[in-house]
Amino acid sequence: MKEKLTKEEVLHVAELARIAVTEEEIKKYQVELKKLLNDVEKINDVKGYDDEILIAPWSNNTELRKDEPREMLDPKKVLENAPRHSGNYIQVPVVIGESEGA
Amino acid sequence: MSNYIATIGVEVHVELKTKTKIFSSSENGYGQMANSLTNVIDLGYPGTLPTLNEEVLNLAIKAATVLNCKIRREMHFDRKNYFYPDNPKNYQITQFATPIGYDGYVEIEVDGEKKKVYIEEMHIEEDTCKSTHRGEKTLLDFNRAGVPLIEIVTKPCMTTSKEAKAYLEKLRELLFYSDISDCKMEEGSMRADANVSIRKKESDPFGTKAEIKNIGSISNVGLSIEKEIERQAKIYDAGDTFKPQTRRFDDKLGDTVLMRVKETGNDYRYFPEPDIPFVIVTEERIDSVRKTIPMLPDERREKYLSLGVSEINTKKLIQNRSLSDYFNNLLEEKISHQTASNLLLGDISAYLNKKEKEITDTTLSKERFIELVNLIDNNTLTSKNLKEILEVILESDKSIQTIMKEQGIENITDDAEIREVIKKIIKANPESVTDYQNGHDRAIKFLMGQVMKETKGKANPKMANDILKEELQ
Repeated sequence: MKEKLTKEEVLHVAELARIAVTEEEIKKYQVELKKLLNDVEKINDVKGYDDEILIAPWSNNTELRKDEPREMLDPKKVLENAPRHSGNYIQVPVVIGESEGA
Repeated sequence: MSNYIATIGVEVHVELKTKTKIFSSSENGYGQMANSLTNVIDLGYPGTLPTLNEEVLNLAIKAATVLNCKIRREMHFDRKNYFYPDNPKNYQITQFATPIGYDGYVEIEVDGEKKKVYIEEMHIEEDTCKSTHRGEKTLLDFNRAGVPLIEIVTKPCMTTSKEAKAYLEKLRELLFYSDISDCKMEEGSMRADANVSIRKKESDPFGTKAEIKNIGSISNVGLSIEKEIERQAKIYDAGDTFKPQTRRFDDKLGDTVLMRVKETGNDYRYFPEPDIPFVIVTEERIDSVRKTIPMLPDERREKYLSLGVSEINTKKLIQNRSLSDYFNNLLEEKISHQTASNLLLGDISAYLNKKEKEITDTTLSKERFIELVNLIDNNTLTSKNLKEILEVILESDKSIQTIMKEQGIENITDDAEIREVIKKIIKANPESVTDYQNGHDRAIKFLMGQVMKETKGKANPKMANDILKEELQ
């Protein structure tokens, strides 16, 4: 088993998380992230869940909600919790590119 | 035309017509004040938990049904992880491993030929917040965050822009008619992406793929596909290659522009959403949803044509949902359906457009409309006179014949009465009769004029014309 991740692997994870990392941090994460992964991999040793996806600790079906509107937040309160706003919009720095989701 | 074969697949996002959002009880609305339709779930506050809206499940089952998809009976949601300000949770809840619908198809017709467009899968997911870029700022509106979506993905089975357009039109028609979505591309409640690649021969492997994102109208989908085929062909013709990429269609340029090159493919680290347990779709639910599907466009089309409605009127009726629904109430009636459709699409539509009303906002009950159709059909009411009294017809409850009387529109339809006037006119104008018999067609117009003058315009024109010709023989 590898002792640490490659520099490229760390940079790739940093890229996905949209964070900048220094050379020193890269060295640190090469070891730390690998340790984390090794710990997580222990889950694979658990027997008995090979064929089904375990997504919740219970087997009940999900509860559905009726399509009825309920109380919403006051827009003023919403904006108070944002670092910056412009009119009623929450304002963030420009991020180049388009949404990944949807 | 290029010498390449294009391979086209289309992905469509459709916002579902629910009262509330997919995982929260805040309202699903459009055009409201920014950030006024939210709660802690939509804003991605830590510790909040999503609960699935039952109506979303029902509408997704409905969509899967009208798109001829198989419906998965046990499914779950997945997290699609990415960092972007439009989604503060840093993941979108979607269905990756177990899409609710799969292996479906939609039938389209292009240049008189029928073809099936195959649907790979359709899944449920949440919409992100709407971000607007203004110079140095990006503005976020969370009213859209958590609006329920279905994404419908076709197989790469189309080869021309015409097919892609026909598919989108058909899809819009189906989803709109089954009350799943209002499908307004201009408001973003229906959004389309197209995947395009080209190759020389069927036997060649698929070419490099370009994805064109968020195209704002069906005609622009067609245009962007044509432009993209052209662009790729030029590159290949020059002996070059290109990397898989995402492009967008620029309205002003009328062309696609590069957004980003996909170097390594997406790395979304999907995993099952642990906050929402399994969703079980029961047979009872599928059955009860199926019962809510109204008559769909294809069935309407077939019915209308079989009742003698012209092809063009059938098409126009189906383009106007409320008129088509109104017309559907008349299918069993013994009336001329062509006349009925002419009325609805002609003078009545003109009135509705002018007044910005729907047919259901008028006083035109089914019974009064049938009376109107029959009066027009047997020439008691001429189309000229109809124009004069249409507003009254659509704004009062009186019978059409009462209105005609009140407005002084009395059409003489009594054969004997008209014939008597005509005989008198013929006697008084022997030269015109001779002219007519010598082949001067204009003479009949003069005689008709005299008949109308004599009856103060009340003689039914068609009858008068027929009787006049008879009497001149």
